[in-house]
Order: sequence, then C-alpha cells, then structure tokens
Amino acid sequence: MSEHSAIKVKDLVKHFGKGDSLVRVIEGASFEIQKGEVVALIAPSGAGKTTLLMMIGCVTEPTSGEIWLGEEMVYKDKWIAKDTRKIRREKIGFIFQAHYLIPFLNILENITLLPQANGVSKKDAEQKAMELLRYLEIDDKAYNMSSQLSGGQNQRVAIARALANNPEIILADEPTAALDGERAVSVIKMLKKIATEQNVAIITVTHDDRILPYCDRIMKIQDRAIVFE
Amino acid sequence: MINLAARDIKHTLGKFIVTAMGVGMLLGIVLIMIGVYRGMMVEAEILLNDIGADLWIVQENTLGPFAEASRVHEDLKDIIYVVSGIDKSEALTFQNIQLPGTLKPVRVVAVGFDIHGKFNPINPERLVAGRELKNDHYEIVVSDKTGFVLNDEIKLGRNFYRVVGVTAKTVSNGGDPLVYLSLKDAQELQFLYSNKEIQNNVARGVVNSESYMVNTIVAKVKDGFDIDEVAQEIRKWQHKSVYTANEQKDILTKNLIEKSAKQIGLFTVILIIVSTIIIALIIYTMTLEKMKEIAIMKLMGLPNSLIIEMIVKETLILGVFAFIFGNIFSHLTYDGFPKLVILQIPDAWALFGVVLVASVLASFVGVKKVISADPAAAIGG
Repeated sequence: MSEHSAIKVKDLVKHFGKGDSLVRVIEGASFEIQKGEVVALIAPSGAGKTTLLMMIGCVTEPTSGEIWLGEEMVYKDKWIAKDTRKIRREKIGFIFQAHYLIPFLNILENITLLPQANGVSKKDAEQKAMELLRYLEIDDKAYNMSSQLSGGQNQRVAIARALANNPEIILADEPTAALDGERAVSVIKMLKKIATEQNVAIITVTHDDRILPYCDRIMKIQDRAIVFE
Repeated sequence: MINLAARDIKHTLGKFIVTAMGVGMLLGIVLIMIGVYRGMMVEAEILLNDIGADLWIVQENTLGPFAEASRVHEDLKDIIYVVSGIDKSEALTFQNIQLPGTLKPVRVVAVGFDIHGKFNPINPERLVAGRELKNDHYEIVVSDKTGFVLNDEIKLGRNFYRVVGVTAKTVSNGGDPLVYLSLKDAQELQFLYSNKEIQNNVARGVVNSESYMVNTIVAKVKDGFDIDEVAQEIRKWQHKSVYTANEQKDILTKNLIEKSAKQIGLFTVILIIVSTIIIALIIYTMTLEKMKEIAIMKLMGLPNSLIIEMIVKETLILGVFAFIFGNIFSHLTYDGFPKLVILQIPDAWALFGVVLVASVLASFVGVKKVISADPAAAIGG
C-alpha cells in the first residue's frame, strides 16, 4: 500500500440474507483511492452505492475482504479495528443528502460537537470551526440555528462539520441532491478545493451528471463489481 | 463539552414545561395524598391531646369510646378519683350528631363535659371567636368547619343552643368537626328519650332515664405514680377497660386509621408508578423524535455515553421540574380539600428521592432505544 493511499479495498464482498433469500450486493470489489482525490460513485438505485460507502465508513460489516484506511487495516474478514466508532470519529467525515444538522444546536455547536467529543478543548474546537466557516464563507452565521439558514448554507455547514476533525476521508452521500444546479456545482467545487488543499480523499455518491466534470475519477458498480471509467 | 440535554430542552422549552407541569400535577396529588395521611394522624390525636388525660376508663371489654360504643355511670368518676395515684377524674360523652346547617346538614362529633369540672377539652389556643361554655345549658361551642358563627341558634333534640364560641382545627379522628356541650346537655341529647317515648316505655314497664350515663371517664395520674400500675389497679377492682393515653392513641391511629392509611399508601404507590410510566413514555417519545439526530451522532462516531448522558439528564431535569411544579400545585390546592392536609418538608424530600430514582428508571427506555439505534439509518433519507 502506497503512502499516498487513503482508502484501499481488496476482494470486498457483501451479501445480505441467507439461503433462498440471499442477496449478493458487492462481489470481489478491489480499488484504491489516493489522498486529495475526488471520486464519484455512480450506479443505478439499489446497486449498493450506500452499502459500499457504509462499509468503507466502518458502519456496515462486510461479508469478507479487506479494507484499509490510510495505513491501518480496519477489516479483514472481520473487524480488525476494536472501536469502529473511534475510527469514524477520528478519520472520516460524513456529508449526507440533506444537511442533517442537529436542530437544537447552533451552527458553531454543530461543528464543534465532534472535536469536543474527541477531547479537543472548546476554545480550540471553536477556533477551528470559525476558520472553517470563514473558509466556506458563512462565518457570519456561526450563532444561528440551522432553521435560519438556506439549504445551500446548511450544506456548507455540513461540509464544515465533516471537516472539523481533520479527517483523512470524506464520504458523501449525494451531497448535492437537495440543491439547485448553481449551488450543486458550488458545493462540488468546494469539495474539490478541500480535497486538493487539505489532502483529503473524497468519495461522493451521486446521480448528478453536472458534478462529474469536477471529479478526478468515476467509479461504477456494474454487475456487483467495481469498475472505473 | 456541550450540554446536549440543556440545548435540546431549550429548543423545545414550551413543550417541555407543559409536559413537566402535567407530570407535576400527578406528583402534586401524590404529595396531597401523603398530606391527607399526615392530616388523619394529626386529626386522630387532636381530641386526645386537647383532653390530655393519662387514663381512659370505659365499659369492660370494649375499645371505647372512639372505636366501640361504651357506657359507664357518671359517678364512676368519683370512684376513680379515690383510687390511689389518681390526681383528677372527669366524665365525658362523645356522640355523632347532625346539625341542621344553612345549606346542608353538617355531621359533627359532640363532646360533652362538665364545664365546672377538672378537664376542659376546649383548647383555648383553638378558640378563634367568642368564649368557652359558661352556663350549664343551651350553649354550644362549634368548630369553624360547621359554618356556624357566634350567636347562631341551633336546634338539637328538644332545645335550641346558642353558639357562644368558635374553634379552629378541631376535628374528630374521622375528620368530622367537633362541637362542645355541657355534660348535662350532652347526656340529655344522647340518653333522654322524647316525652312520648317515655310515656310509651312507662306503659311497657321499661325504665326510662339513663341520663346519668357517660361514655368514658378520663383521669390524670399524680406525679410519681406509674400510669400502667394505676391502670391495672382500676381494671382489677372496677371491672372496666382502661387505656393509657398511648394505648388510646394506638387504638385511634392503628386500629381506626390503619386501613385508610394502607389505602392512601397504595394510591400513592400507584400514582408514583403511573408517574414513572408517564415519564418513561414521554422520554421514549422525545427519544423517538430525535432518532435521526441520534443516528447521525452515532454515525459521526459520537460515543454512546454522550448520547445516553443527554437522555438521562433530560429525564432527571423533567423529574426535577415536575417535582417543583408538583410542590407548587399541592401548596396552591391543599387548603381546598375537605379533610386536613398537612404538607411536610421531609415528605417532599422523600418524594424528591423517589422522583430521581423513578426518572433514572424511566430513562432506561430512552437509553435502550439509543443503544439499538442503527447509525446506517442516518443515510438514505
């Protein structure tokens, strides 16, 4: 595994159910994604995009295979990592279709929640959060509630939240689905900028052709296998 | 670390306060139920304490005069008086009667005593208007709960009685207001038949007058004498049942109030269980409403302990708020209850402890839901 590799997947298999009800979702997927790379994951609905994302994110347990995150092997036919939640907390940032900000926390608290849970002091977490908000040009909304922000602004806050812990990987599940064309392009440009400047590997599930030109590679799930365009 | 519970409560403050008020009313009723029990205990002892007797001498083999009917001769007081160790003795009557109230009849317990005697059941501290009884006939002192005021005329039996005094907080062990009459009037009221009935009885050859009877003789024991020994002496020679003040208190509190106390205790326990279930359901619903956020927090990698802390804290805060509202509710309403309700601080603290334990138990349903929440549920709408 190269030192630039952020994600490495080898012979990954995921089945649901048993016997007659067995569903084969992923069969022998192998690929590697480098730091700073933005990869689009496209496939028809039900093909296993989210399942693949959840396996890489240490949420869903694969059936067999290997997963490496950076230099750490987290899965080899069983979870090698003792605390998958800690892996998520420290290495991975998530961005969802909708922003899914916690409605009872203000913007700054939404961003600082995870770093504080990781032991970062409130002051340092807030300083980093303000930097991110400035970077994403919404620092004037730091003390607002998410209900007071537009969809695009909330999605930028969600990006800031995903970046708050200096993750090595960002897993995005259709981050532009709820946005209009202009805002969708703006978000993917922002993700591309983050990947380049902060050396973060990004996998983004998408059905949106408009954002594909901004991705470094396009990964497809075809007949339960992974292929790159 | 961000206090998630406080933020969540602040976000839905109105709903949270209304919920706490609802649970608080239940807890307020629990406090009032305990207060009713305390009131019963106090009411049971009002008359005993006001009379202040060491010994109660009643008809043999009875638990008189409160728990069972008892009749003894009035002159027994003189026989008791000469028993070694007796300082003073007096005859008393107790009788349930119904006064013709202004709006509806009032059920009372009439206490008859010799107004020139050595025991005065009217506690001067409880006399809030008028005076004590001065004349042997046709005067009555009433509890303010009867609704009568000074100089009212009340028809009782054959005669009219004028209200000369009003007392406060004077009730029998059953919670009925007390009225006080002279012994002669009380004996007439209890034992004297109507003229027609006397004529009828004479015709049948039945002895009529029992107006020299009373319900009990009370006595005070001289200093230096053992109350139990004096009581035993009277039992031995007078063929009467004799109860010390403590025994009489036991009869009133244990025998007469025990069932009511158990009933109130059971209601209290049921109400606490209902409150716990309601808190648990509220917390469960509040947790369900946050399942998406909980799944996101779990997906992001927040430890369960942080989310569980939020649920437990919210439940405890709900319990504390409900307890505060319960106290306010009980203090605003307790005076309106027909029976005496005594709210005591130790009872409130005990309930507070129970509420905290109940809240922690109630939070388990929410905690269980948190533990079982699937972080993958955060993705895919």
